[in-house]
Amino acid sequence: MNKINFYLLEYAYSYILRHKNKNIFIVTVFTLLVALLATLFFVTSSLRYELKERIANQSDIIIQNYKAGMPAAIDVSVLDKLLEIEGVTAGKLEVQGKYYFRPKESTFYLLGVDAFEMQDDPVVAKLLEQYELSDSEMLVSKNVQDIMNQAYYKEYFNFIKPDGSLHKVSIKASFDVGERVELKNLIIMSKDTLREIFGYSADEGSDIALSVANKNELEFISSKIRLLLPNAKVTSKDDLLLEYEKLFDYDSGVFLSLFVIALFTFFIIIYDKANGLSSEEKREIGILKAIGWCVEDVLHAKFYEATLLSFFSFTLGLGIAFVYVFVFKAPLLGAIFTHENMLEIHNFQLNIHIELSYILLIFLLSVPVYIAATLIPSWRVATLDADEVMR
Amino acid sequence: MIKLKNVSKIYGKNIKALQDISLEFGEGELIVLKGVSGSGKSTILSLIAGLSKPTMGEVIVDGKKISKLPDHFAASYRRDNIGIVFQKYNLIPELSVEENVLLPLFPLNLPRELMRQKAKRVLEMFSIAHKSSLMVRNLSGGEQQRVAIARANINDPKIILADEPTANLDEKLSCEFIEILRELKSKNRTIVVATHDPLFFELDFVDRVINLEHGKLL
Repeated sequence: MNKINFYLLEYAYSYILRHKNKNIFIVTVFTLLVALLATLFFVTSSLRYELKERIANQSDIIIQNYKAGMPAAIDVSVLDKLLEIEGVTAGKLEVQGKYYFRPKESTFYLLGVDAFEMQDDPVVAKLLEQYELSDSEMLVSKNVQDIMNQAYYKEYFNFIKPDGSLHKVSIKASFDVGERVELKNLIIMSKDTLREIFGYSADEGSDIALSVANKNELEFISSKIRLLLPNAKVTSKDDLLLEYEKLFDYDSGVFLSLFVIALFTFFIIIYDKANGLSSEEKREIGILKAIGWCVEDVLHAKFYEATLLSFFSFTLGLGIAFVYVFVFKAPLLGAIFTHENMLEIHNFQLNIHIELSYILLIFLLSVPVYIAATLIPSWRVATLDADEVMR
Repeated sequence: MIKLKNVSKIYGKNIKALQDISLEFGEGELIVLKGVSGSGKSTILSLIAGLSKPTMGEVIVDGKKISKLPDHFAASYRRDNIGIVFQKYNLIPELSVEENVLLPLFPLNLPRELMRQKAKRVLEMFSIAHKSSLMVRNLSGGEQQRVAIARANINDPKIILADEPTANLDEKLSCEFIEILRELKSKNRTIVVATHDPLFFELDFVDRVINLEHGKLL
């Protein structure tokens, strides 16, 4: 079997065509199975990849202050205490938060920056290299600019402060976020301006971001901070990752996929078993043996037949899934996976990121199983006396 | 050349197809096995072809114990030495004439040009070359018979086995088939025909007619 026998390959191909109806059914079921599973895996791996990318740009630990169970401003003096913890290498007081824009029912994400601070996010860092912001200026994303334009704010915007008064900030420039769709509602301005808008004092911020030397110590340091600040909410990168994993119900997705693959493969096998080989198919094997084919030759041809059929269906299924997920952006399914209605993580885009291990998993659970299901009944018939088979 | 030594064949639990048969056929002989349905004619052909194994006794062809050959060797023995013409032709209707004729050689993976030459030779020999690209299902009974004979001869076998070869042919086509047999015999092929067609019993080139009844020689 080490050299491709094109005669047997052609024979196998003609056999598939000669049993069109049965094979169209098998190809349809097989393709649907692969397409469904590949779609699930493409969506989850693409989203997981994007999540990891997002988390990679975030600080190791974020501390938010809570008062009476509500988020509250955090004082810069807390930062000094935190920097004393062994393993914490750097920290900064951040000023950021959401701002609801009622005219267009949109939520903007406001980020306060300091020209002298290192920026974790490369997009923000690059913008600050390009533009120097004064206290009355801001940078807005193209999407924010469009929304503001629709509400006739073309050059500036009046933010409403907690006391009801207005704070005017001019639009210095707009920027493109590319594939970083989570930044599509971003507004960048100086920390002082944002403090003014949020009603914070000069020593206050929305949270504290810490950097940790040893990433394996994240949980340990987080627990130390929790002891130090009983009212604070401490979120490490690991916590975020875990939260996202739960959010995408990843484990359940994999379980569901395996269940579906098992069910469909089982269905194909049952179909083949229930039908077995028809008397016509058995007779054909008998003829082949009578004219000089051995069991190995029959199985060789059957192997080609099953391989052609399963590879065709597998490739077609993958192709359909690819187009559905990455070209059409997975209508219906994408929304389910991003929990669009439940959580505010809807700014996801399905960028092409495929984990080969998943494709291998789908392949292993479908193609070899189908090939085996084809070979076993043929082997049973081929090992009988040809005379008996043809009688 | 072909020797059956005390051969018995029992199908299932107690269907005695052959009972202690001993026969010997020489090279180039044309033997007719005569008998009604169930007399054991086809079983003898099947044993000589190595398609089944005797329950008792031995089948020896050219000094080789066919009945003891494992599947792989039995298959190559059939391919190289035996050409079988079945009553119902046993062709694959959806394949072309040429593909049907070449089917025994597919596992050998021979060069395509050699395969074409082999097919051309036998198709011309049995006057069916002009239909080589047609599907077998579109041929008449007589034409299908020729294709089956061509397939049986694709590898120049020493032995031709024909099981009720004229059962589905009219008289004219039966006579044509007999002429083909005469030609094959002239090429020193050993031919064993199992039939109850009286046309064969009086032929001048038949060497022996063997009578069978209930699996025994008469």
